[in-house]
Parts: sequence; structure tokens; C-alpha cells
Amino acid sequence: MLLSLALIVPALLLTAAGIVMIGGETPRFIRAKAAAFPIGLAFLGAIGALTLVPSEGPITVRFYDRASVASFIIPIGFYVDRLSTVMMTLITGVSTIIYCYSTSYMHQDRHARRYLALICLTDFVLICMVSSGNLMMLFLFWQILSYLLYLLAHNHAHPATLAGAFKTFTLLRVADTAFLAGIVLAYQLYGTLEFQELFARAAAMPMTISIVPEMDVDAATAVTLLLFIGAMGKSAQFPLHLWLPGSLFAPTPVHALLHAGIINAGGFLINRLAPLFGMSSTTLHVAFVVGTLTAALGATMMLAQNDIKKTLGFSTIGQMGYMIMECGLGAFSLAVFHLIAHGLFKATVFLNCGNVIHKTRQEPHFPHTDHEDGETGFSRLTWTTGFVTTLFIPLLILLVTHGVLRIPLLESQGTVIILFFIWITSSQAILTLTRLRAVASWKVSAIMLLTLLFIVFVYLFAVESFTAFLYPNPEEVASYFKAADLPDWLFDLIVVMAALMTIFGWSYLYMRAHGRTVWMPAWIEGLRSRLYTVFLNRIYADELYRLIGSMTAQLVHRIDKLERGWSR
Amino acid sequence: MTEAFIPWLLTGIPFLGVLVSLALWSDPYRVKTSTIIWSIISLASIVGMANRLPTPPDGLLPLYVLPLAAVVSALGQPVHENHRFPWTMTLVFLGLGIGVLTAGHPFDPLCLISLMLIIMLLLYRHHSTLWPISWWGIGSLGVGVVGAGLSLAAGPPISSVASLAACAVLLPLMPFHDGYLTALTRLPGSLPSFIVLLLPVLGLHELATVMPTTPNEFVAVVSLLALVSSLYGAIKALAQSRVRLLLGYGSVSFFSILWWFVAGAHAATPRAAVLAGAVGLATGGLLVAWQVIRTRYGDDVDPQAISGLAAAMPKYAVLFSLLGLAAMGLPPFGVFAGFMGLLLTAPPSSTIGLFIALAAWLAASWYIMQMVQQLLFGTRRAELRYADLRYPEFASLLIVVLALLALGLAPTSLYASNQDPNKTPARERPLVWNR
Repeated sequence: MLLSLALIVPALLLTAAGIVMIGGETPRFIRAKAAAFPIGLAFLGAIGALTLVPSEGPITVRFYDRASVASFIIPIGFYVDRLSTVMMTLITGVSTIIYCYSTSYMHQDRHARRYLALICLTDFVLICMVSSGNLMMLFLFWQILSYLLYLLAHNHAHPATLAGAFKTFTLLRVADTAFLAGIVLAYQLYGTLEFQELFARAAAMPMTISIVPEMDVDAATAVTLLLFIGAMGKSAQFPLHLWLPGSLFAPTPVHALLHAGIINAGGFLINRLAPLFGMSSTTLHVAFVVGTLTAALGATMMLAQNDIKKTLGFSTIGQMGYMIMECGLGAFSLAVFHLIAHGLFKATVFLNCGNVIHKTRQEPHFPHTDHEDGETGFSRLTWTTGFVTTLFIPLLILLVTHGVLRIPLLESQGTVIILFFIWITSSQAILTLTRLRAVASWKVSAIMLLTLLFIVFVYLFAVESFTAFLYPNPEEVASYFKAADLPDWLFDLIVVMAALMTIFGWSYLYMRAHGRTVWMPAWIEGLRSRLYTVFLNRIYADELYRLIGSMTAQLVHRIDKLERGWSR
Repeated sequence: MTEAFIPWLLTGIPFLGVLVSLALWSDPYRVKTSTIIWSIISLASIVGMANRLPTPPDGLLPLYVLPLAAVVSALGQPVHENHRFPWTMTLVFLGLGIGVLTAGHPFDPLCLISLMLIIMLLLYRHHSTLWPISWWGIGSLGVGVVGAGLSLAAGPPISSVASLAACAVLLPLMPFHDGYLTALTRLPGSLPSFIVLLLPVLGLHELATVMPTTPNEFVAVVSLLALVSSLYGAIKALAQSRVRLLLGYGSVSFFSILWWFVAGAHAATPRAAVLAGAVGLATGGLLVAWQVIRTRYGDDVDPQAISGLAAAMPKYAVLFSLLGLAAMGLPPFGVFAGFMGLLLTAPPSSTIGLFIALAAWLAASWYIMQMVQQLLFGTRRAELRYADLRYPEFASLLIVVLALLALGLAPTSLYASNQDPNKTPARERPLVWNR
């Protein structure tokens, strides 16, 4: 049954693409509507697979055999396990909603047919990618996805969109090349690209390779670092994040799909190859650094943007950074949970942002700002609630994780760091709520507390259950955390910094809200405004990209002129 | 006895076609039809008799793709009396090409020399203001002729070096690539889109014979030249604004990567033939597609002056973008399959070499995508009259796309029947990586 579902789900999506593409123009709206049914059926099929996989176990379908006549150069095969079915359910679920939304949203567009067909094809490619039977097939669909993204992200006649699409394609290709190098290295080292065999051989044959004389690198580290660069590209990690803001001219549903599905490919890749990544502490540390940097930069740039799509785009970059950071801490399942939660949330927001833009265009005073007059007061009750919550929540989390969920915190640096980051972000959320500082109501305070408690409990239990589902073997989970352990001094530094930042943020805002003057050195004030400009301009990364592009072009033309060219 | 006759039969069929074409000379349409029919007959006879031919080291794939490329190049050219000569010459070249691939020593060098001499003669005669006469190109082909002649007359190691030089002219490798580029840019009508496959495939065939006997010192030099040449081709392609030059340099870059693999493995395997055939077919297909544009907007049309074809010429846009994808090495087309096949099976000779090869592969995404985007997308121009593909043009491009798809997905055993499937480089050479 699971085998049938594994084949039916992608086939249904391909059928949907066929329904949209094939045939004349006249009944196109009917066909567009009809194609929603196979997509919906694919979603049901994915749910079916998700429910069956724990009992039936993972399945492998191979349409190739190296020893037989039917062997293909491109080995087409499927490997459906818990991770695949989770991703299949997410992708088909989000796709169903996006497709139904798109049929109305793009109804009057001349190119609606092409667009809808591309959406269906992208879904098909995504499903094939997450259920790939080997690394080669995964790479194959990974690359096709890069091209489909290029097609989806551009509008034929809009120069800025074309430039953005070209940037998207080239940057993704850079990452794809590193991915390819990783695959080649893996094959040359271990002689296979089948996932389970690859993991087994890598574990059984620890090796080092010499990239240049006198510089030996652990083989697993070399392979995973190259693969990680591939993941960085798709998941918009700094400095390969530039393509995401550049693709923001695409129709809104494309963003919903992009931010809920395509961009998660990096997190999926790391999870799919978790046993391999778990063999290299260096790669995990690199992932942690890259993820943290991306999260910080993405979130900061998001705060400085004045365009709703750009704000959401940089929010996604920040969240993806967070997800990669979780992978870098060895919390692979948490990263998958995060990408699902983020995907659902961001898809909803993107599908709604078109309405907001539309409303803003119709009503110049939207969003309404008349409530500002009532905010000047200071509510001790609200602030006390927030302060207590900020202190109380981390303690509660520690208690629950240690006492109820039996997670050995003292042996897991990663969990502790994640908890501290949860503390920072929940504090940030509460600080945002304190904008309602004039509202001194027990109801507001109680709702705030209850909501946060609910979220915390649900989140903790959901994450724990999800981890148990995705990685049933607790030793495996522990081994990933262990592999990601940081040096003690760095761990202490992160914990202390996180605590200081939260406490300092609270104190500063409390005093400001209380009407007290907080003394700041003049250079900090100056730095703040300068940094604001820098982040408003997205750290001038686009300008840098253009500069590198024009310098490369100049260099290429100079070399061309130096050589006796045929063009002269 | 019959086996010995087969190569001559296969070589003779296209020449028979030449005679028929000459008899129909007054009617361009019938000359074109005759070229296509005789190419198809040639392909059918190759398919029918392939199992009775000795399998060369690079496999039989080159033999299959040559008539196919001849069909494609003739089909894509509109009917005009000026095109009768290129069509007929396509059959001549096809016959000589089949002769090189099947006739065996010493006839194959003779066929090769004849082929290069004819191309030199054509290059001497056919040039224009836009593409002036190129003595460098003719000279480079001259080197090829001398190389092929010396390989016939001299003993080793001179014969090996001379053969390598001839191979470098055919399967373009810097600094011997000028002949290939000149042929691609100057030859009349449909010939460039056929030559772009013919020369490299013949070069690889010769290389497969020469490489195992080449001294290691020469192989090391070839390896280094190949890496430099792959970067050179990519850089030059990036700098070009003329489509034929861009495609020419781009293919030089890919063929140089092929040289690097062949030098590393000391052999030209059937997988190498997949890459050579696929790059040749993809470049040929793009040349046919460019020919479509030239037919509509003139020979000297500037690609910068054309845009917005995607909306106005959807069939053309789809096929052209698929060819672009294939040419830049994206799956599931033959270039990707050949490149991956070589990457995975090549011995791990040099990490830096591998990264240079990958950089050249990456650069293709840049210059080919730029060309595709320039032509297909952007705003529609009021001064241009857009007309989508006619049936022969459509069929021609579709055949190339399908052939590239087949090369990407076809069973490995077709090209690697004598290879042990269970052998992997890691198992063969674990000590290279182990410390």
C-alpha cells in the first residue's frame, strides 16, 4: 500500500500539470479547477503514507539496477521513510491551498495557464526530491527546482523581475556546483550514492583527504561541507541569500510556495543526510555559525524594511537561519518541525499580504495609526506581567524539559542553547506586546500569560513527540547533539550573552517606558542611525553583488581583448 | 568477407545520396528531401548492421548520432537554391565521417585528411564581410592534416604526438581550436550545425585509439592544457555577444573538460562519447535555433536587438530554452548524463582539476542563460515581425531535444557494455584517499 502511495502521489501531481497544460485555450478555467482535484488527492495520499510508514517501515523503489540492461545513467528511485512522508504531507497540503487560491488569484492573467502548470510541476519536482532514492536523483530534482524557481520568479516583460530571476538562477547554480562536488567526492570516496549504503560505508571507513599538500581534511567533513553549501543556496543562507529578495516580484502565491516549500530544501537535505552530517562536528559548527549569522542579519534587515514583501522575505531568511542553526546544534528534528511551522505560518501570511497591499492602495490611512494617542501612558500591570513571564517562562521550560520530558539538559549543549534562544525570542515577542502599554487590564495580562503557557507546552510536547516520530532511536538523537557540542568557552559565552541581551533589553525598554532618560554614549547613538541605514539598504549586499558582477565582466572582456579574439 | 564489406557499404550510402542530389540539382526542395532521406537510410543501415561491426573503445554512439545530426541540420534549413550546396556537402561529410568511424587503419586517416582538406577549401572560398577569411583557422586545420598524415607515415612516439595534434584540431583543444571555430562560423548554410558534432566525434574516436599508447609526459601536458582550455573557452564565451562565437567557445570549454577526463583515465570510454555527442548535438541544435532567427531577421542580426520571443513564438521559446538547459548541463539531458558519468567514473586525479572543470560547467549556466534570457524574454519589439516555427524547423529542434533526452536517460549498458558494473573508483583506488 505504501509502495503504491509513494508512486501515486507524484503521478497525481504530474497529472494535474498535464490537465492544465494539454488542450486548447477555451475551457482553461474549468481545466484549472479540475486540476485541483489530483492535487488534493495527492495530499490525501501523502497523509495515507504518513500514517502507514510507522507500521510498514521505510520502502525503497528502484527503477535501475547497475547489473541489468535496464540500468539508467540517471538512477530513478524512491526512498519513502518518515521524513519523506512528513515533507510530502507538508508540500502537498500547502500546494493544495496555494493552487486553489491561485486559480482565482491569477484568473484574469494572460499567462495563468503557464503559471498553474509550473506550480504543479514544481510540486511534482519537490515530491520527487523529498522521496529520492539516492543522492544523484535528489541532486537531479534539486537542479530542476533551481530552474523552475527561475521560471516562476520572473515576468517576461518586467526588467527588474528578469534581473532578479537571473540572479536567483546564477546564485542557486553556484550552490548547486558545490553540491555536485560533494556528490562526486562522496562517490569517489565511498563508491555509492545510495543513502543507507553511503552512511554505512562512511561510518565504517573513516578517511582523510589531501586537498592541497600538507592539508588533510576529514573525508566526511569535506563531503558534508560541500553538500552544506548546496543547502545554503536553497535555504537562502548568508551570503547566498541574495536571490530571495531579488525574486520578490513574483506573484504572491509563488512566494507562499517558495517560503513554505522550496526554501525548506536545505533543512530537508541536512536531515536526509543526518547520519553523514552527524559524523562531522566541523560541518555542524560551520552550520551553527552560518545559521546564527543569517538569523541575526535576516531579522535585523527585516526590521528596517518598509515594503511588506521584503519584510516577509527577510523574515524568512532569518527563520531559515534559525533552522540551519538548529541543525548546527544537532537538533535535526527540531529543524524539520521549525520548517513545517514556519512554512504554514508564512504561506498564510503571504496569501494574505496581497489583500493588505490592495487595501492599502484603496485606503491611504491603512494601517490605522489613530490608536497611538492612547499609548503614551505606562501600565505597571502589563509590564509586571511581561517581566514575570520573561523570567518565568524559561524556568518553566527548564522544568518541563528536565522533569517531565526527561531531556538530559546537562549533557546536551544544543538543547540549552536552543532554550536560551527561545528565551530571547519569546522575550522579544513580549516586548512587542508591551506596545499596548496603556492597557492596564487583568484580562490582557491573563490572556498573555495563558497564551504563552499554552504555546510553550504545546510546542515542547509537539517537538518531543515529533522527534520521537522522526528519529525513533533516542541514541541517534543524542549522538547528533553530542557531535554538535561546542567548545566549553564558546558555549558559556553564548549562554551568558543570551542572558545579558535579554536582561539588558528588558531594563532598557522598561526605563524608557517609565519615562526615564537612559544615558547612551554619543557614538552609540550615531552608530544606531548608521546601522539603520546599512540594514535598510540590506547591508549593501546587492550593490556588492553588482560590483562583483561588473568587475568579473570587465576582467573577462579585458582577457578577451588581450587574446587575439575571433570577435574582432 | 561480408563483415569487411559493411564499412564500405555504410560509407557509400551517403555518397549514393550525393549522386542522387546532384541529379535533382535543379529543384532545391528535392535536394533537401534527398539529403534527409539518404541520411535516414544511412541511420537505418547503421542500426541494422551495428552488431556486425567491431565495437571501438568509444562505443557505437558516434555512429548513431552522425546521421541524426545530418537530418537535423538539413531539416532546419529553409528551402533555397543557395542551400543546395551545403545539403549535398552534408552528405559528403557524413560519408567521410562514417568512413573514419568504420573503415579502420589505414583508411580512416585518409578519410580524415580528405575531410579536413575539403573543409579548408570551403573555408578558403566561403567568407563574408561579417566573417572575413581566417588564415588561423585554415592553418589550424592544416596542422590537423599534417598530424593525421604523420600518424600514418611515422613511427612512435612521433605518430602519437602527431595523432594527438590532429585530435586537438578535431576535438577542439586550445591552441588548436581555431579550425573548429572557423568552421563553425564561416561554413555556409546548414554545415556548421553538422560540423559542430562531426569534428569532435571523429576527434574523440581517434583519441580513443591514440590515448592508451601516449607517453605519460604528453598526457600530463594534455591534462594541463585541457584545464587551461576549459577556462579559456568559458571566459571567451562569457565575453562574446555574437551567438555563433558564444556557442563555439562554450563548446570548446566543454570539449576541453572531456579532454581532461580522457587524459586522466588514459582512455576514451563510451561515457566520453555520450558527453561529446550530447555537447555536439546541443550546440548543433542551438545553431539551428539561431538559424531560425537569422532566417527571419537577417544574417547579421544583432542578438541584442531581439527580445520577447517567448510571448510571440511559444513553440520556439520552449524548444530553445530546453536546448539551452541541455547545453548548460542541466538534467535530464545528455550533457548532464555524460558529464556526471565521467565525473563519477573518472579516477580522482586532481582536486583542483575537478574544481576547474566544475567552474567551467558553472560558467555555462551564466553565458547560455544570458543568451536565452536575452532572446526569449523582455518586452516585445514593435519593429519585429514574429513568426513561430514552421513544421520542418519544429521537427528539427524537437528531434534534437528528444535525442538529448534519450542520451540522458538511455541505459548505461548501451554505452558501457564491457564495463564491470560493480567496479567503483573507490574500490579500485582506496589508497589514493586513505592515509
